[in-house]
Amino acid sequence: MTSAGEPVLRTEQVCKSYPGVQALADFDFELRAGEVRALLGKNGAGKSTLVKILSGATAPDRGRIYLDGKPVELDTPSTALQAGIATVYQEISLVDSLTVAENILLGRWPQRRCLGFRLIDRCAARSRACSALDRMAIALDPDTPVRRLSVAQRQMVEIARVLSFHPRVLILDEPTSALPQSEVDHLLTLVRRLAETGVAIIYVSHRLPEVLRVADRLTVLRDGRAVGTIPAEGASAGCLAEMVVGGEWRPRERAASEGRGEAVLSVRNLHSCGRLREIRFDLHRGEVLGLAGLLGSGRTELLRTLFGLAPLEQGEILVYGEKIPRPDPIRMKNRGVGFTPEDRKAEGLVPMLDLEDNLSMACPGRISRLQVLSTGRRRRLAEHMFRLLQIAAPGLKTRARALSGGNQQKLVIGKWLNAEVRILLMDEPTRGMDIHAKEQVYRLIADLAGQGIAILLVSSEMEEILRVADRILVLNQGRLTAEVPACQAGLEQLLALVMQENPSSKLMGKTA
Amino acid sequence: MNPNLPPETPFLAGSERNWRTFLARSGLLLALVLLFLILSLTAPNFLTARNMLNVLRQISFIGMIACGMTLALIAGDVDLSVGSVVALSSSLLAVLHVKLGLPLWTACLLTIAEATAVGLLAGWIRVRWNIPALIVTLALMLSLRGAAFVLTNAYPIPVTDPAFAFWGGGHILEVPVPVWIFLGTVAFFWFLSTRTVYGRSVYAIGGNAEAARLSGIAVGRIRASLLGITAFLSAVSGVLLTSRLTSGYAGVGVGWEFDAISAALIGGTSLFGGEGNIHGTVLGVLFVGLLGNGMVLLGVNPYVQDVIRGGIILLAVLLSTVQKPKGSQ
Repeated sequence: MTSAGEPVLRTEQVCKSYPGVQALADFDFELRAGEVRALLGKNGAGKSTLVKILSGATAPDRGRIYLDGKPVELDTPSTALQAGIATVYQEISLVDSLTVAENILLGRWPQRRCLGFRLIDRCAARSRACSALDRMAIALDPDTPVRRLSVAQRQMVEIARVLSFHPRVLILDEPTSALPQSEVDHLLTLVRRLAETGVAIIYVSHRLPEVLRVADRLTVLRDGRAVGTIPAEGASAGCLAEMVVGGEWRPRERAASEGRGEAVLSVRNLHSCGRLREIRFDLHRGEVLGLAGLLGSGRTELLRTLFGLAPLEQGEILVYGEKIPRPDPIRMKNRGVGFTPEDRKAEGLVPMLDLEDNLSMACPGRISRLQVLSTGRRRRLAEHMFRLLQIAAPGLKTRARALSGGNQQKLVIGKWLNAEVRILLMDEPTRGMDIHAKEQVYRLIADLAGQGIAILLVSSEMEEILRVADRILVLNQGRLTAEVPACQAGLEQLLALVMQENPSSKLMGKTA
Repeated sequence: MNPNLPPETPFLAGSERNWRTFLARSGLLLALVLLFLILSLTAPNFLTARNMLNVLRQISFIGMIACGMTLALIAGDVDLSVGSVVALSSSLLAVLHVKLGLPLWTACLLTIAEATAVGLLAGWIRVRWNIPALIVTLALMLSLRGAAFVLTNAYPIPVTDPAFAFWGGGHILEVPVPVWIFLGTVAFFWFLSTRTVYGRSVYAIGGNAEAARLSGIAVGRIRASLLGITAFLSAVSGVLLTSRLTSGYAGVGVGWEFDAISAALIGGTSLFGGEGNIHGTVLGVLFVGLLGNGMVLLGVNPYVQDVIRGGIILLAVLLSTVQKPKGSQ
């Protein structure tokens, strides 16, 4: 390990703001060679903005970045890579049909000339790829096509690829979110080994125990600032959770609905391909049920399975007591279930169509007779919802893509209300919205619950769940590990439950 | 071997994986052998040296175009104009030689150069304004065919030069000359796609254009050049066809884009880019050629032939979809 001298990477008063959000505010940060630094923080704390700036994907508004004491301009991903900062993102970008060696050296294949052709020097390519893989102690045949590799192996190839640029700094963005538990240890060992060779590593993760194992020091971000940097040794999950949250959050808005209504949606022993295990719960009339879990905990898979977008492999789904053997979106809709997806623009609405079309999309039966559309009815229906939800738009003929995030979400909800659903599955309903828009959506959710609609809400923001839900289920690595009434739950307790690494063990006894 | 590393995770389960990989690797070869056997037993005069060489000559004209088409498809593009380029090349060659009196070799070179230039221009348009190659070449398909008819007033123009006729109709070691040229093209494109920087870049572009761009591969230039390559091959094919038919005619090459694309698809090339290889395409070309020849010999109604051909394409694409692991998110 290199001694503590000049830091490898230093940022000075880096600022970045997006409309309505100060993503990074005067961010100062230092990184030493051979150190593994974890970045912690809740969603929106500024971790991903920092990663984007350091990897050259986005430019800071102001501030300086120094690499080995020299200021650097990181305006594109390739300049960042050339400068010595390599980033491995969650989504791996390899070419499936090329081999491991070809991917590692993508675009920089060793060449030799023959009859005027630029040939790939396959021996040199193989030996260079081998040395990159050896450096990481990975046993992979460099001639294997990437399409035959598992997710974990692809990630290794991706890491080998960026390491072949001999970076000074390696950024790993949520590297374990897509990995099965068995592969995580392997990755952590690799990270430690790389650090010993002198590479400085920035490790971004939500998973606290993992971070405590791998990192030398932890930097906690909150509201775009570094709240503090502490050595990993001796740090406890409890105190970290407090640093992450900062002790401030607003209490819930609406009083818990008194008494439970009938169970409208029941799930029994749902299993799915290793991602979900023994899921069992009831959703009641007029209840907002929060589903808290980290990325990769299976929360989105669960919603998609319930709505029939992912195959139901094992278990039972009952809607109003009726068993649905093979759920699909049409069946679920006909039984009064709606789904607002995480990616509103791509899955929730049709951006190039206007409000009227979008609002009436899920209820063709109500706006037509014998398959013939009644434009008058369609307009009345859309107008009613437009007013009811107070969608901010010039008129019904506005295209959906022109709306802000909050209004688009209202549109998606309105679409389902027009289809007269009684159960709403909501995946990250306020993702990417500013505070004001979030408030509006929260109020809408409370109103809907007040009208007897049952809502199952998935969110990665614990504050949101605590704020909106009546009852909270904790989903951890595909299992429901805890059930908490919202009025009794504290934010830190919830965070600890969600981040617990091995749900069955007593790793974090004091959170129980 | 590192003992810590888990064994390679199979992407398909047990027996399912076996028959699928088997089907993927040798399904087409098996189908080809089966087709050959059936036609040998049922079709009169099928299994004769004369007919075999005839089939080989027929497939050579489309086969060399299919090689370039395979590369374009691997890059995620397609060239619909190849049949029209064949027609225009045939017409232009005849007009330059017969009507304008240029020496034959000059006319050949000019014809091929013209087609390649138009192909490169189409490629440049495709890249410069990021228009799908499908659209650009669809427009060319119509325009070039029209231009060919305008040039020749829709009449065939005889090109009677015995030395020239050798290239399309002659033999070397009992094997028709176009077959040799086709074999050379196959060898060249196999080499290009597996061994050269250019070829592997084509796979990278089709597999993940963004990753290729970020890795410093000249995505635009390679995409543009691919349409130049298909146009070049089509022009060569058009010249050879003119030699074979001893006349230039604007009505040749109709539907060749379909045959070239279907040969590549049957050979395992993906319509979505990133996947495919030249040897698969050669098998695909043979399959399409033998099927066509067999149906003619069996006296199958030409319209029924089209129905069968279309069905085969659908089947080939269905099979290649079935072979893919499902749910790849």
